[in-house]
Amino acid sequence: MPGPLAVLDGVSKSFGDVVAVVELSLSIPGGEIYGLLGPNGAGKTTALRMLAGLLATGRGTARILGHDATTASAKKRLGYLSGSTGLFGRLTPREVLDYFGQIHGLSRPEIARRVAVLAPDLALETILDRRCEVLSTGERQRVSIARAVLHDPAVLILDEPTSGLDVLASRFMRDFVRAERDRGKAVVFSTHYLAEAELLCDRIGFLHLGRLIAEGSPAEIRTQTDKPTLEEAFLALAETAGAAP
Amino acid sequence: MNARHVLLTVAKELREALRDRRTLAIMILLPLVVYPLLSVLAAQVATGREKQREDRPSTVAIAGAGPARDALATHILAKPTLFVLLPGGTSADVEQGRLDALVEVDPQDASKVGLVYDASRDESRTAEERLDAMVGKSLPEGCAPRFTSHSRSLAPKARVGGYLLSKALPLFVVLMVLLGAFYPAIDVTAGERERGTLETVLCSPIRRFDLMLGKVLAVATLAALTGVLNLASMAITLMQILRLTADNFVVDIPWGHALLSSLVIFPAALLFAAAFVALGATARTFKEAQTLLLPVYFLTVAPAMAGSIGEYQLGGIVAWIPGMNITLLARDLLVGRATWAGTLAALASTLLLSTVALFGAARVYDSERLVSPTPRRKRPEGGTTRTTNAGDAMVLFALAFLLLYFVFLPIEQRHLASGLLIAEWAGLFGLVWLFSRMSGQTFRSVLVFSRPRPQAVLGAVLCGCSAWAAVAIFSEWAMPVPKNMVDELRKALIPLDGSRSFLTTLFLVGATPAICEESLFRGPILRGLHARLGTTAAICTTAVLFGLFHMDVYRLIPATLLGILLGFITLESGSILPAMVAHFCNNSMLVTLASLRLDQRMETLGQGAIALIVITSIVLSATGFILIRGSRRRPQPSPEV
Repeated sequence: MPGPLAVLDGVSKSFGDVVAVVELSLSIPGGEIYGLLGPNGAGKTTALRMLAGLLATGRGTARILGHDATTASAKKRLGYLSGSTGLFGRLTPREVLDYFGQIHGLSRPEIARRVAVLAPDLALETILDRRCEVLSTGERQRVSIARAVLHDPAVLILDEPTSGLDVLASRFMRDFVRAERDRGKAVVFSTHYLAEAELLCDRIGFLHLGRLIAEGSPAEIRTQTDKPTLEEAFLALAETAGAAP
Repeated sequence: MNARHVLLTVAKELREALRDRRTLAIMILLPLVVYPLLSVLAAQVATGREKQREDRPSTVAIAGAGPARDALATHILAKPTLFVLLPGGTSADVEQGRLDALVEVDPQDASKVGLVYDASRDESRTAEERLDAMVGKSLPEGCAPRFTSHSRSLAPKARVGGYLLSKALPLFVVLMVLLGAFYPAIDVTAGERERGTLETVLCSPIRRFDLMLGKVLAVATLAALTGVLNLASMAITLMQILRLTADNFVVDIPWGHALLSSLVIFPAALLFAAAFVALGATARTFKEAQTLLLPVYFLTVAPAMAGSIGEYQLGGIVAWIPGMNITLLARDLLVGRATWAGTLAALASTLLLSTVALFGAARVYDSERLVSPTPRRKRPEGGTTRTTNAGDAMVLFALAFLLLYFVFLPIEQRHLASGLLIAEWAGLFGLVWLFSRMSGQTFRSVLVFSRPRPQAVLGAVLCGCSAWAAVAIFSEWAMPVPKNMVDELRKALIPLDGSRSFLTTLFLVGATPAICEESLFRGPILRGLHARLGTTAAICTTAVLFGLFHMDVYRLIPATLLGILLGFITLESGSILPAMVAHFCNNSMLVTLASLRLDQRMETLGQGAIALIVITSIVLSATGFILIRGSRRRPQPSPEV
């Protein structure tokens, strides 16, 4: 069995007096969608930013394909996308893709080939040469997806990617995530929509106050807590964790 | 360092910046508007000072002895309003300013006279002109001895030109480079954070130092470009002035030195870009970055101004003061007295400070502050109806100004009345109409053209008929207009020789500006600024723009004061019509007074009469204003649902 592509090993992170993540360990192999769930302020974004190398870990290590997540070697193998990720408004999607493609070391012809492959899948053909600032939220998110997968990374980190999207765009995003998983990629996905996670994730980790309080497939977690839905399961787990000393 | 990543980032940032209207406005519109405006105002101040100088007698002396000297002395003493004759003097006295000019009688040929003066001093130039006129032309035919004169300036022409330029050019360069770096630096740092694009870049395999270096170089390029464009605009304006005043100008512009001195743009751009990017990177929002950078801007401007005005030497601690060192280096290069030591000190200190700022910026880019969550700017929801905004207001002002300066003023210089009519109706009224068409608004909504209440119109008439007196008296006290300039203006606008009827003058000077100027200034400009700045700031800003638009330093104060009044009238009445009425009444009063020559009689009034006029003017204006305020339509309570 191939080793994990993305690993958080005992990482902790604090911002001043605020403890964001405590002793968190995750290990995500290729061909899996891992859902990191929890309410607002649970530490999901901080955990994903450490895995993406945007934040240094306070303690522990974050690794992508064995490389320290903060290094260029790790970032070359990583695609990161969040609901709040912006695009350069005054550039066109083609210019954005060209810039990031070159930053990832792709040549101009390679970028053109990748854009030609991605554009039909992500319905970008008609918007490639319009400025990003005039695109709709859904169109921008599709451009962001193209930007994140342009260099065909082995690991995809998606931080609440469906936030603010309508039903159709969310559905599109879920289909895209499944397709990437089927291509053997490790996908780390965070959301606070539990129903969405249940539909999409192979494995789930529940974060509460910066701690991982449960991990397993949606079915395993429901069985473990003896609850019919993930939402009820999470409430029960959070109550137990909150009552613990 | 990955040079490819740095260059990619430079190209990306430049492309983004050059598609930003704000950056383009600062780089291109500002120099096009500011320099012509400044040159016009400066020329008027200079003209005013020239008139004052004409009233002052020149201090002169005669070197030499004999009958020729005595004859000259007699003629000089015969004109006590023009000359004060000292018993003796030398060239050194002229150089040191104790004498305005020295008359040297040639010991070999008593009919030859030399006039020694300093062309870098205005008083000395006036003295030379007077002496030359007197010596060469005033002696009657047959008078003995007759003199021929030749003038000799102690200051080389190029030095004079360089000296004059050195007082303004280095400071302008620093100011423009600072301004050119200001917004792009904020845009590529805090702006990027606010737009949420920073995360996107930071999770790609680009080193943060490379990213930051790319941003600094992009900002430096834009700042340098702004500096170069400004200098080019200044040079063109200067050439225009030289062409127009070729007969009176006694300086050469040392273009070579000016070009050399402009090279300081590049180190200055790098330093300011690095400093601003470093500071901007610590800000979470665009506004926060503005707050952070503004004090630095002014802190840099202050030493630059000190360097421009004061006679500091470039060396020691002065060479390390950002802004000041660059200003002094530009000055020294301009006047041709730069030393290798001073130049190297200024360049080395600037580059060192740039490097420090660069590494400071790199440290900030490694900081986790950059990727902590920030509030996002929200766009207003719903309401797609287009309204005039502050950006529209400023663009309209710039366009109107450019049209006036480059198109209509030359026409006015040929034929005042038709030029004025074209400028007002095509340049102002037409511009507003065009704006309404292009922005998809109705002309009435752009003007806020609604029927006012009768008491608002009555109040406007009262204000318009009375405010002029207080405004005129205050302006005359604050900045007296030279009498001959008043006479020239009066003669041009309100001819009393029967060449134009009173009604025609009233239409030209009263109705036309009232309709056209109000349409622009109290229309889209005031409304656009009001949406951004609030009532008082919008009224005052519009009034200052209105004052500047008159392109006359002596009309700046009265036009601004009138603009404030008209702004309040517009916003209080909720319609542009009362402002048009007040403006018409104001101008018509001035036309009537001039036609009846009552304005000349006012100049002879005593203090008591003037105080009475001011008080009456204020009371009547206040009454008018109260009427206008009382006319405001109160919002009707909405029916319950």
